[in-house]
Amino acid sequence: MLKIENLSASISGKKIIDNINITLNAGECLLITGQNGSGKSTLLHTIMGRPDIEAEGKIRLNDIMLSNLPCHARSREGVFMFHQTPPEITGVNTMTLLNEINKVNDNKYTRGNLISQANDLFLHLGLPTDWSKRQFNVGASGGERKKNELAQIELFDGKLLLLDEPDSGLEQTSRRYIFELIDRTCGRGGIVLLVSHDKDIQSKYSNILELKNGSSLR
Amino acid sequence: MDLHLGNINKLYVDADNVQYYIAPSHTDEVQEISFTFIQTEGKCSASIVVEPMTNSKSKVKINIFAENNAEVDCVCKLYVDVGGSETDVQIRSWPFDSSKIKARPEMRIYNSDVVATHGNALGTLKPQEQYYLATKGIDNYKELIKTSLLHEKL
Repeated sequence: MLKIENLSASISGKKIIDNINITLNAGECLLITGQNGSGKSTLLHTIMGRPDIEAEGKIRLNDIMLSNLPCHARSREGVFMFHQTPPEITGVNTMTLLNEINKVNDNKYTRGNLISQANDLFLHLGLPTDWSKRQFNVGASGGERKKNELAQIELFDGKLLLLDEPDSGLEQTSRRYIFELIDRTCGRGGIVLLVSHDKDIQSKYSNILELKNGSSLR
Repeated sequence: MDLHLGNINKLYVDADNVQYYIAPSHTDEVQEISFTFIQTEGKCSASIVVEPMTNSKSKVKINIFAENNAEVDCVCKLYVDVGGSETDVQIRSWPFDSSKIKARPEMRIYNSDVVATHGNALGTLKPQEQYYLATKGIDNYKELIKTSLLHEKL
């Protein structure tokens, strides 16, 4: 269960999120909508624990009080952030980064298994054959960077997925893949918070949080 | 025009007190000449001279990692002659802790009708990159860079 109580957040003294309350059970997905600047992404980053966000309130995932933990520790408790614009990281190749993520996920895969599963996924997602050897996102398009995020979700089953506009800028096949992934995550008891501007997908979800100026409209 | 070390007339490396130094081993197959220096303590210096053959182009990439109180002084001299357009030298340095890195790309251009480029970037990780890695559970950025530079070459 995810329980968020009286969550407010400020950046450089400016309040962005104001008194948000959310309760989600295992297997539930919440669609977060709202205009640009309404605080959708900031809400996800606050839950993730971005260091420059000053947050108040409680965030609990099952029996873990996430709001007491730094960002990397929240990740190790199963919180997965799908970034809207993942950065380039020079000097770090993709497979080395996946291997490090694997280590903090209790070595879910052996090294050989990780390489083989990751390469299969990259191929399936239509990424170049040498993707795993490339420096992380360096020179990659926005769509390729999002596919990198998708592959990570597929490899390391998060308990709580924070998806920041995962469907924007992707071709139809990959968009379909995202929604299959959300269904599968919910099917195994995971919880998903999905930010999207796409009006078409609103009919797919009954749980909707609409934000305006950082507050909940519904 | 192929890019490989077969086009190199002279390649000269003078390294003093370098702890970990990785250079290309299959010189007739690589497309890009790449060097990596990893220094965890003490002072070291390295001088790399690359002189491609006439009508050939070379791309040289140098990674330098330093930590603790290590000091690295590195210069790469790349000669650019007739037909050497697109010749490029790029140095990327990561000075962690209180280490110091002095890195200089130098191009000796002997013909005015070439387009040659160079770059020299120094710095560790930007806050946005650190946050991204933290969202993946990684808080030891220094080890990640070091491991990745070693794995890339070995």
